[in-house]
Amino acid sequence: MKFRGKIIDIACLNHFSRVVTTISKLTKMCVLRLTPDNLFFVLSGKVANGGVGMWCELLQANFFDEYQMEGVSSEFNEICLEVTPENLSRALKTVQNAKYVKIKLTRKHCPCLTIAAELPTLSSVSRVVTHDVPVDIIPKSLWHEFKEPSIPDFDVSIYLPPLKTLKNVVDRMKNLSNFLLIEANMNGEMKLKIQTDLVSVTTHFKDLGNPPWGEDSSQDGGPSHSRDPEDMAEARVDIRKLQQFLMGQQVNPSKAMCNLVHRNVVHLVVLHEDVSLQYFVPAVA
Amino acid sequence: MQCVVTGGNVKVLAKAVHSLSRIGDELYVEPQEDGLALRSVNSSRSAYACFLFAPLFFSRYSIDRGLDFRCKLAVKSVQTVFRSVATLEKTVEKCHVELDKAKDRLTFTLHCKHGLLKTHNLSYQDTESLQAVFDKDSCANVFRAQSRVLVETVVHFPPSVEEVTVAVSSERMWVRNHVEDEAERSKALLTELCLAADEFDHFAVGAPNSITFCLKELRGLLVFAESTGLPVSVYFHEPGSPVVFSVTDSVLEGNFVLATLSDDHNLQKSDSGGGHAEPPPPPPDDFMNDDIDSYLIAMDTSVVPGPSTAPPSAASRASPAADSRTRKHSEEEEEEERDGNEDPGRPPSKKFRSLFFGSVLPPSPQTSTQPVTTQEVLASDSEDEDE
Amino acid sequence: MPLSTQSQAEEEQYVLVANLDNARNLSNILKAIGFKDHAIFTATPNGLKVTVEDSKCVQANAFIQADIFQKFTIKEDLVALQVNLTVLLDCLNIFGGSTVAGISTALRMCYRGYGYPLTLFLEEGGVVTVCKINTEEPEEPIDFDFCSSNVTNKVILQSESLKEAFSELDMTSEVLQITMSPSQPYFRLSTFGNSGSAHYDYSKDSDMMELFRCNETQTNRYKMSLLKPSTKALALSCKVSVRTDSRGFLSLQYLVRNDDGQICFVEFFCCPDVEVDEDL
Repeated sequence: MKFRGKIIDIACLNHFSRVVTTISKLTKMCVLRLTPDNLFFVLSGKVANGGVGMWCELLQANFFDEYQMEGVSSEFNEICLEVTPENLSRALKTVQNAKYVKIKLTRKHCPCLTIAAELPTLSSVSRVVTHDVPVDIIPKSLWHEFKEPSIPDFDVSIYLPPLKTLKNVVDRMKNLSNFLLIEANMNGEMKLKIQTDLVSVTTHFKDLGNPPWGEDSSQDGGPSHSRDPEDMAEARVDIRKLQQFLMGQQVNPSKAMCNLVHRNVVHLVVLHEDVSLQYFVPAVA
Repeated sequence: MQCVVTGGNVKVLAKAVHSLSRIGDELYVEPQEDGLALRSVNSSRSAYACFLFAPLFFSRYSIDRGLDFRCKLAVKSVQTVFRSVATLEKTVEKCHVELDKAKDRLTFTLHCKHGLLKTHNLSYQDTESLQAVFDKDSCANVFRAQSRVLVETVVHFPPSVEEVTVAVSSERMWVRNHVEDEAERSKALLTELCLAADEFDHFAVGAPNSITFCLKELRGLLVFAESTGLPVSVYFHEPGSPVVFSVTDSVLEGNFVLATLSDDHNLQKSDSGGGHAEPPPPPPDDFMNDDIDSYLIAMDTSVVPGPSTAPPSAASRASPAADSRTRKHSEEEEEEERDGNEDPGRPPSKKFRSLFFGSVLPPSPQTSTQPVTTQEVLASDSEDEDE
Repeated sequence: MPLSTQSQAEEEQYVLVANLDNARNLSNILKAIGFKDHAIFTATPNGLKVTVEDSKCVQANAFIQADIFQKFTIKEDLVALQVNLTVLLDCLNIFGGSTVAGISTALRMCYRGYGYPLTLFLEEGGVVTVCKINTEEPEEPIDFDFCSSNVTNKVILQSESLKEAFSELDMTSEVLQITMSPSQPYFRLSTFGNSGSAHYDYSKDSDMMELFRCNETQTNRYKMSLLKPSTKALALSCKVSVRTDSRGFLSLQYLVRNDDGQICFVEFFCCPDVEVDEDL
């Protein structure tokens, strides 16, 4: 099992660091899956048990100038690690002005992802910093828990408003209530509602548009055409979980959408050019 | 005593007080013939700091000759005097410090812009002189660097990092966070920096070895050094004897003396090795000419997850490729630390030793070449008994 | 449901309708008195007065004159209601309370009368939020009976110079002592904390002193815990008038300029703590 990558381009480094920081805001621990073409950050959500789920996918070629890996075997050419994204994020943040950054799987006092960077200094000699981020290697027998989640059989799929607006509204609502009701329909309308003894607040978004999960799409679960476009699907969620998701979003994505399974789950999808992030928030009664 | 500070020096004085507040809760003030000494010590007496402001630092400096006066006061209350450090330079024109023995008050008067006059009457307690035992001049390892070099080193360690280990060879310095607990090591982020001698203005290593000390107090000094633009000198000898960080210019001198972890095992090893100096540790991870194979880990993943649960030494030995060319230095240390933890005759956790005679030392010459290890007996609360 | 298209019929149900192009002009000044949850709203054709009290010893009033609002319609001479101020502030800032020029939250505030909620319609960038804040039984604000004819001493200062003092106040002192005098020390703030005393003296000739009218030497103490909340108003203000009356009651009036350059006032009344020995 081998892994070694190198990032030279500073924009790629910043971007990678932002992605990892986003992940670190979402979860304390997650699984990093390395394949020849991709990196995946996975939180295998026990959504059924009330936990959140996360799936973040990166194309290695868009970040790494060098990328070499050898999985467990040629048949199972993957590496699966449990990491603390906060540690990775912290390590990457201190090397933002590096001439290059190398990331490799190493055997130190325990298995580590070692992040090594050459930093510019006041003198002619550069300075080397290494961060050893401890990881746990996940045996093949458990890999099945970290497979890509299937898109749920949703009732409504809708584009999200600008995430900053959404975050502002959700942050304030969080001050007022612990739970939030999300409603949306196939007519591009979405409502966020809270209700307490002191106050009721409803924010109305309209003309958001609905993603074309089109007829040609293999997606069976798409909303049926028979559905009344005005008909609202809804899900009540723990505001903190939604807030956590929004807090981590540092850059405006090219696309952000929300798939609602009526009274069951909120599936949030954020697409950047080279990164996709899915987040599952279970509905509460 | 009466002294007057003007202009930019008010901010320097304020910054000194703030950096002393990182050490202990009390500020010891002692007007001496050679200037005003401000000192602080932490509760476990493992860190001590002293600033001496020469008479020339002040636009007026007068003390009552023959009157041995010294006092201590809550550093917090002196910080209140200089609360808005950021704007001090713009707002304060003059600062008077005056002692009123009759009322037991130390009075700070700030003459500010717009005719605003701020008067702080602070109560104090008489105290014996506070002195630490250290001798910079006999230290085998001496360095001097621009404060920025050290600031950019410390910045790599998050605030949660308490202690760092500094190892030196004739050409390089390594700084890494110190994780005491073996269980912690498999969870904690370990960071190591390698600084070349070229980064320093002065780099002299007479005794290649490594020391471990608390970062908090150093951060305090760096804030001062950065704001005054003064270079920082570092002096140390061996594990267990203190490390001294100094800033100096023509009118002031600041010394931060920090205890280092004693490392009996280290000493024993080098003794048994015939007393010859350990060769400098090789660069731990020389990425300049690395060879991927040397970093590979061979591991059977069909085994249950935690290779981290295996004893580290056994695991390293199972990886001969790594063994042959990586980090002899750090592996040795791992073993030492583990041994240390298993040794029942040794205190399990922190091994910092008290640096001081505390208040019992006569106020006169403060430097002594006496090995600090013999001062261990001094309890940290000796100062209270004096009162 | 843009604010402008609300029907006439709907409008007529309300005894009070107030429109504001920039909700920050209301939320900022309410933040300045937001030291307790309950706020008493008193609306008259002249505008809105919002009152917050603590311990029957301190009272803060924010005045927002009718002409600050783009529209201010009131069907009765006086409309009083009471709401939770913290909730109201969260509602007013639902879109984040952006300070970016050109982005502002429009507000329409409506009230149908006793027993009804206070309804806010907020709009920013085409997104509308409707808040219904339940109202409480309005309490009668305390009358501090502070009249200008009884004022003994008065100074007007540029807020800048007081901000520094308030940010440095020794919070271990239970009281803030204010001395006003025709002779030295003219205007003095004193604290008596764990580590000693501190005095801040303002010269009557300072360029920060806009008006100095002190008739007799007066030294009064006020509970620090009661005065500290006024720091928020001070921070927002450009000038402050400090007055004491013959009973030693304190009035602090803050002149606040909003985003659009209009002027509002925030006033604090505080009763003195105890009689003071002259030699302190």
